[in-house]
Amino acid sequence: MTRWNDGAEEVSAVSPDITDETNALPARYFTDPDVWEMEKEKIFSRYWVYAGHENCIPETGDYFTRTVGDKQVVVARDEDGDVRAFYNVCAHRGSKMVEDTPMTDPGNMGRIQCPYHLWTYDLDGDLRSTPRSFEEASLNPDLDDADVSGLDPDENGLMEVRTDDIGPLVFLNFADDPPLTLAEQAGKLKTRLESLPLSEYEHARRYVSEVECNWKTFGGNYSECDHCQANHQDWIRGIQLDESELEVNDYHWVLHYTHEEDVEDELRIHDEHEAQFHYFWPNFTVNMYGTADGYGTYIVDPIDEGRFQLIADYYFAESDLSEDEEEFVRTSRQLQEEDFELCERQYEGLRSGALGQGQLGPNEHTLHRFHRLAQEAYDA
Amino acid sequence: MARNDSPVASCPDCEERRTAEDPNEVVRFYRRHHAVTGHDVVWERPPSLPDLPPNADVEDAVAALGDPDAALGTVAAAASEWGWTVGETLDAVHDRRLTGALWEPRDDHVAVV
Ligand code: FES
Ligand SMILES: [Fe+2]
Repeated sequence: MTRWNDGAEEVSAVSPDITDETNALPARYFTDPDVWEMEKEKIFSRYWVYAGHENCIPETGDYFTRTVGDKQVVVARDEDGDVRAFYNVCAHRGSKMVEDTPMTDPGNMGRIQCPYHLWTYDLDGDLRSTPRSFEEASLNPDLDDADVSGLDPDENGLMEVRTDDIGPLVFLNFADDPPLTLAEQAGKLKTRLESLPLSEYEHARRYVSEVECNWKTFGGNYSECDHCQANHQDWIRGIQLDESELEVNDYHWVLHYTHEEDVEDELRIHDEHEAQFHYFWPNFTVNMYGTADGYGTYIVDPIDEGRFQLIADYYFAESDLSEDEEEFVRTSRQLQEEDFELCERQYEGLRSGALGQGQLGPNEHTLHRFHRLAQEAYDA
Repeated sequence: MARNDSPVASCPDCEERRTAEDPNEVVRFYRRHHAVTGHDVVWERPPSLPDLPPNADVEDAVAALGDPDAALGTVAAAASEWGWTVGETLDAVHDRRLTGALWEPRDDHVAVV
């Protein structure tokens, strides 16, 4: 039952059973700034979140930064060829060390150096060197140089953040003791993605848009295609919606779409005759297209409760795109714009405060899963 | 709702546009956008501001605004007259601050020393 905020002020937790009348996340969870504060801890500091693509940092010392909520990490390729992540925070007095560096325009450094007092770290995070003023006590009349014991490189190293990967996709987990491994959180998605030659594809395009709605509003819109018939005229041509299938797993769900006409085999990275859109809790998607030999990812990156950035990355066999691939990306961008409009309009409605708790339909089981995961995270 | 003559800034690479009532909104937009793409942002339709001397320095832009406490976004809008991007203006402000020619009395506002 739809619950209006008509004085009754009645909402309940998302029911485990989709046929119950309280099957949706109460509207307040989309609009309340305190909820976003809570999500930074209970969602973005607990679950595995996507960091970036390791093909973008092939050489030792290549790095990019990634910001998740209030936390920023430096993701770097170390001397052994491993990708590691460290808080972008100096062990001396906590300064931010490197400037924001996008994955699409990575930097390279031999060592990580903090510009404040020049503490310098190896790519494995150990403290490598400090200026002399940290080794002798010439300015302090109460100490002799001999009293200065020097700093242990390991004890005074950077704080590492746990990483794991699925193929070339690197994920982060900020929890001291994560409730799930990446393999557990990804389940079948991991197996499916690992069976594809994702590493052979190059990053070709990144588009970033800022949208005026809660990140979960867009996440929900991505997870269903009931709105497609009415709102994506161009895209819907060539897709057999009635033959599409929605698959729900523990922490991800997949929208499968069959194409009306058989798509040529060269146009697909995967074997099945369909496009697959994976939403991976909490804010990442992997888009396997039916009509292009490439794949895409979205990061649904919250800025605050009322805004997010959609970071859309496209991967193709070569980073220089053919005319057809350019056209494909343009269509994809158009689809995004159409969705932004829908989501912003929905959000305007949510922000009015009229709705206490909406009502999901029986075929919105992907969305129900999404709302359930949010509820579980809040309760944890 | 933004009026249709509100100031607009955009990213030429992504075609992402920002309509801003407050010029510093464009500065925040630039920072977020630059952080994930490396792209710069330009003023497409700057707010109307006093004329600047041609090809001057960023202090001249701040001075021309006649505001003892100018918003960075407004400075960037003024400097767009010279064809400067938002990123170029912020870099110039940063350099001049470090040499003591500008100071920042409060967040994202600057004044001529
Ligand atoms: S805070 Fe980094 S060296 Fe001092
Ligand atoms: Fe859509």
